[in-house]
Amino acid sequence: MNVVARTIAALVASCILAAVSGAALAAPSGKPIRIGSTLALTGPLAATGQVHKIVGEIYVEQLNAKNGLLGRPVEWIVRDDQSKPDLARTLYEQLITVDKVDLVIGPYATGAILSAMGVAQRYDKLLIHHTFGIPNLAKYERQFPTWSLGPEPQNTFPNTVLDALAASPKPPKTIAVVTSKFPSVHFLSLGAREVAKKRGVKEVLFLEWEFGNRDYGPIAARIKEANPDFLWVGAIGLEGNQLIEAMKKLDYMPKEHFYLYPAPGPMVKSPDANYALAGTIFEEHPPFTSNPQAEAFIKVFNERAAKAGLPDTAVDTQAAASYSTWQVLEAAVTATKSLDDKVLAAWLKKNEVGTIQGILRFNGPNNYGDDLMRVKQVQNGRWVVVWPKSVAAPGAKLLVP
Amino acid sequence: MIRTVVALVVVAAALAMVPLAGLPPFYETFLYLVFHWIVLATSWNILSGYSGYLSFGHGAFFGAGVYATATLAAHYEVPFLWTLPVAAAVAAVLSLVIGLVVFRVRRVRGEIFALLTLAVTFVLATIILNTPIDGGPGVYLSAVPLPQIGPNASSTFYLLALALAFATVLIAYLVCGARLGRGLFAIHDDEDVAEVMGVPTYRFKLAAFALSCALAGIAGGIHALFVSYVTVGETFSITVPLSVVLMSILGGTRHWAGPAVGAAVITALMYAFTASDYAIAGKAIVGLVLVLVILFMPRGILGRRRDRTAPAAPHAEPATSRRENEVPSARAEPAVRADAPAILEIFDLAKAFAGVQALSNVTFSVRDGEVLGLLGPNGSGKSTLINVVSGHYRPDAGRILYRGIDVAGAPGHRIARAGIARTYQIPRPFSQMTVRDNVATAAMFGGATLSRSAAEREATRWLEFARLGDKAGALPDELNLHQRKFLELARALAFRPRLVLLDEVLSGLNPSEIDSAVELVRDIRAQGATIVLVEHVMRAVMALCDRIVVLDHGEVIAEGAPAEAMRSPAVVTAYLGAPAHA
Amino acid sequence: MNVPSATLLGQAILSGIFIGALYAVLGLGLSLAWGLLGQINLAHFAFAFLGAYLTYQLATVGGLDPLFTLALIAPAFFALGVAMQWLFTRFRVSPLNSLLVTFGLTVIVETLIQAIWTADFRRLESGYADVRLRIGTLFVPLPELLTLGIAIALSLSVWAVLRYTDVGRSMRAAAEDAPIAAAFGVNERLLAYVLSGVCAMLAGAAGLCLALSQTLAPAQIYAWIGVIFAVVMMGGPGRALGPLAAGIVIGVSEAVTMAVTAPAWAPVVSFTLLILLLLLRPGKT
Repeated sequence: MNVVARTIAALVASCILAAVSGAALAAPSGKPIRIGSTLALTGPLAATGQVHKIVGEIYVEQLNAKNGLLGRPVEWIVRDDQSKPDLARTLYEQLITVDKVDLVIGPYATGAILSAMGVAQRYDKLLIHHTFGIPNLAKYERQFPTWSLGPEPQNTFPNTVLDALAASPKPPKTIAVVTSKFPSVHFLSLGAREVAKKRGVKEVLFLEWEFGNRDYGPIAARIKEANPDFLWVGAIGLEGNQLIEAMKKLDYMPKEHFYLYPAPGPMVKSPDANYALAGTIFEEHPPFTSNPQAEAFIKVFNERAAKAGLPDTAVDTQAAASYSTWQVLEAAVTATKSLDDKVLAAWLKKNEVGTIQGILRFNGPNNYGDDLMRVKQVQNGRWVVVWPKSVAAPGAKLLVP
Repeated sequence: MIRTVVALVVVAAALAMVPLAGLPPFYETFLYLVFHWIVLATSWNILSGYSGYLSFGHGAFFGAGVYATATLAAHYEVPFLWTLPVAAAVAAVLSLVIGLVVFRVRRVRGEIFALLTLAVTFVLATIILNTPIDGGPGVYLSAVPLPQIGPNASSTFYLLALALAFATVLIAYLVCGARLGRGLFAIHDDEDVAEVMGVPTYRFKLAAFALSCALAGIAGGIHALFVSYVTVGETFSITVPLSVVLMSILGGTRHWAGPAVGAAVITALMYAFTASDYAIAGKAIVGLVLVLVILFMPRGILGRRRDRTAPAAPHAEPATSRRENEVPSARAEPAVRADAPAILEIFDLAKAFAGVQALSNVTFSVRDGEVLGLLGPNGSGKSTLINVVSGHYRPDAGRILYRGIDVAGAPGHRIARAGIARTYQIPRPFSQMTVRDNVATAAMFGGATLSRSAAEREATRWLEFARLGDKAGALPDELNLHQRKFLELARALAFRPRLVLLDEVLSGLNPSEIDSAVELVRDIRAQGATIVLVEHVMRAVMALCDRIVVLDHGEVIAEGAPAEAMRSPAVVTAYLGAPAHA
Repeated sequence: MNVPSATLLGQAILSGIFIGALYAVLGLGLSLAWGLLGQINLAHFAFAFLGAYLTYQLATVGGLDPLFTLALIAPAFFALGVAMQWLFTRFRVSPLNSLLVTFGLTVIVETLIQAIWTADFRRLESGYADVRLRIGTLFVPLPELLTLGIAIALSLSVWAVLRYTDVGRSMRAAAEDAPIAAAFGVNERLLAYVLSGVCAMLAGAAGLCLALSQTLAPAQIYAWIGVIFAVVMMGGPGRALGPLAAGIVIGVSEAVTMAVTAPAWAPVVSFTLLILLLLLRPGKT
């Protein structure tokens, strides 16, 4: 089945699911099902942590508005791990051994997820998580990722990006790879170098900086001097913006530039970032919004985010991955009618789940499935998916200035 | 002391039983965090709190331990427990390398040491990030087998951390009462004075630094396996160096258990507000609590409550009935035999400071048992001479034979240990120690190296001798100038010196205080010490000194019995200027 | 190793100077409080960020020119500084304890910022960001130039005041020996309030510079502590020109390293240089 057909199947499946659950007559009743997790509500990771909090709240409300889970109301216990993995570990132990929650889901970001994974493994709990960046470290058999990077993103994703560029008006002949040494970014950039070499794209510059670097001037100057056709930036958070600003100050902007995990809001709002490329699994336009569940979620999220005072209210990778986690959990519980971690894990290994980012499967290495990362581009102040063509916004193309 | 040690053992043993109680493992994990911070804060305090050398680099040594364990366990499959001593060794060696260089440089105190240790953290973090030790992706430790010490993983970490915390707190307690600790406290208040009082400052600082860092290294090693995924960003963040300082200040840096209390309080506080509804507000409350605690308990939770008594009124002692100008009559004193051996011989001593020749060709000797006056106008080099003899400065040339051995240029503490004590013209007591502790510290490092309790008994004795018995528990800044001078004397005496150098001990005193001081100097001489007395007060000089030496512009211009020497033309000219007519 | 062209080297040095100027502006208030008031004021960073957020708010929502917002922020911050000094005087806070007190204040301010502006990123878009000058092949962006100008102006003014005016001399005297200075008629208490207010205003100015060139997030407060402490200690606490000199040294040494070799090594070079300087000539500048 090709991707389009699968998307339609997912669409249909979720419609049926929605109809079936809507058909239930009674509101959820009985002892609440308690789901526990931590999030970075304070500390350096809080900017993204709050997105996940809003998504979780929305989903749990939606669940309880219909039939809950297995007819019972759902209660989400979330604690603040203050962006510290050792605190995350302690809190997951509390959730599991003291609060004795029925199920756990993952926290925000690779470090905390690894801590949670260790705890889940000790207590044989299922762990569905949404923001794990290093697939080859996910070695627990009952962990399931909904950030669909695929088992070898360092190989598959740079290929996706270079495919997109090869199909553009100006396929690049030279590449500069500059990257931060942040763990979940670094290995992908190293993979990009390999992929570029194999595809015959000549590397004219390779630079690494430490995460937390403040001065991007010299790096920008070196990129300008190397003048690559295509600039791959292994950036996370604000690093991409800082580099763009630094290059702009030198009156220089590469025609084709890609940023791995930029903070989406600041980049799309920046007047200098037009035509910047980035990775994503979801954007607020068709075909993603053809799914009515997605559309409804987007609307509620926009409202809630605005109410919470967030400057960015759009749904993108983070919110979508988070929503997918809840979807996967709901699907497994509903299908198996069970809260038993072993049963749920077994079901997930063998089945596919339709989510707002597409169909997820978990039967690959380390429970990873397909690499569903797409390439998006800043076009006129909005993020637009431009590759693969099957999920690109209608009529959108990768633009090269 | 035994009582405290026993109490600690009992507490530790009781805590070790917790895993058997069958509580949910979460509590053990939480307590692991508390113990972890107790170790880090207490170990930091051993150097920085006790000696005042604030280190902003505790994170570097913690991180060295983390990566030592991570590298050995993950890359070389060394069993986890064996990596811990290596972690300690790596951290200790790193600290010794730094200390060997840094503590040698005299000027490195205070902020400079803090900055150096902070810089070391950045350098180490970057090196680890850019070499195969980490290289960027972090080190993954999930595959490292955890030894089965407790019934489950949480208990194992709990017991490991408990053992380390117990050891660390015990070490902090023992150090506090031992010579190392007393010496560190002395260094904290006045390192120069400590050095000339016999504290081997360089060795002690190195020892405290190495001990502190080794403990932090072990804590790092254990923590590496606890988090099981180690990255440079997390390990070398500002959290560790900043937190240990805050925890120690909160609990009280001068108390051995202070940092432990601070660590427990802050960890509990940070944890108390993790329920998501209160996360942000809770954090603000934590900040507020920290502010309030330290404002109302400035010495920390375990710090001594300050006596808010006003400084003592100047000289409340009853005035003697003597008339002002009468010299106290000499008591029957053992006369110094003219052929008594020289205890101190100075040959051709020279010392210059940036072009100013403070001492040149100074040659004289001091006979055993005598009181030698050292006189001269201001700027003649008297204090410099004292400073050189006591080891505060190195001479440029010349020899100083003390009981036949050349001590010129020797470190101050060795000269002190040989039996030379000095006082300061402007008293320099150890300001954070009580009067009794000031004297007891001297007794501990003096000629007869005494244990703590023996030193305290000595201290009481000397305080009585110096008429300061009732001030034993006070802090030096509650004493008036006269009392502080006597404290200087008591401290010098507790040292049991053979040779005492008194630097203008009478300056600033009123006539009846001078009489009292002169009595005391006599008593000191009666104890069997030789005295070199730098002085301006002529009647005291006449009353006390067997001989005098007069300096002018760094040179000896007269030597001999007081009355004659003072009449020599050179001396008159030096003090009063050339005669108007020949 | 990369042999840099003259343009690259020149641009890197410029870049280092600019970041050094930002370090200087951030460090100046901290240095003065440390050297002249005996306070290690961690809250300085929180105040700087508060100033940055206020600049952002006034400029973005209020539509004011960012430079003008400083005129509004400065008096408010002066009052804040005075209030903090009152706290320190009333409780006779020692230098070591000031670290803990100001840390508590920092946490409170950080949570206040997060409560008002959320943890998400805020970026001030101002007209200045697009302007850049050209000197030969080198580019000089306006916001950075403004920061450099502010850093130099503030450092020089403070230096001149401390050196040549009575007020300045009195402050230095009081810092060195308060009782003696008091005996000479120096009103140490009043001076302390004034100085504290001025340091808080300097934090506000630093906030303006931060807002012009950086994206803001509450947790960023802590990201600067390490390097600014290094700048302050290297320049010597209490010396007005210290942070400027030290900031530029650190900034340029790191920038040149980044131009010549792998950027990830930059901190090693700058901090090793720092260590050597301290050991061979402590108390420099």
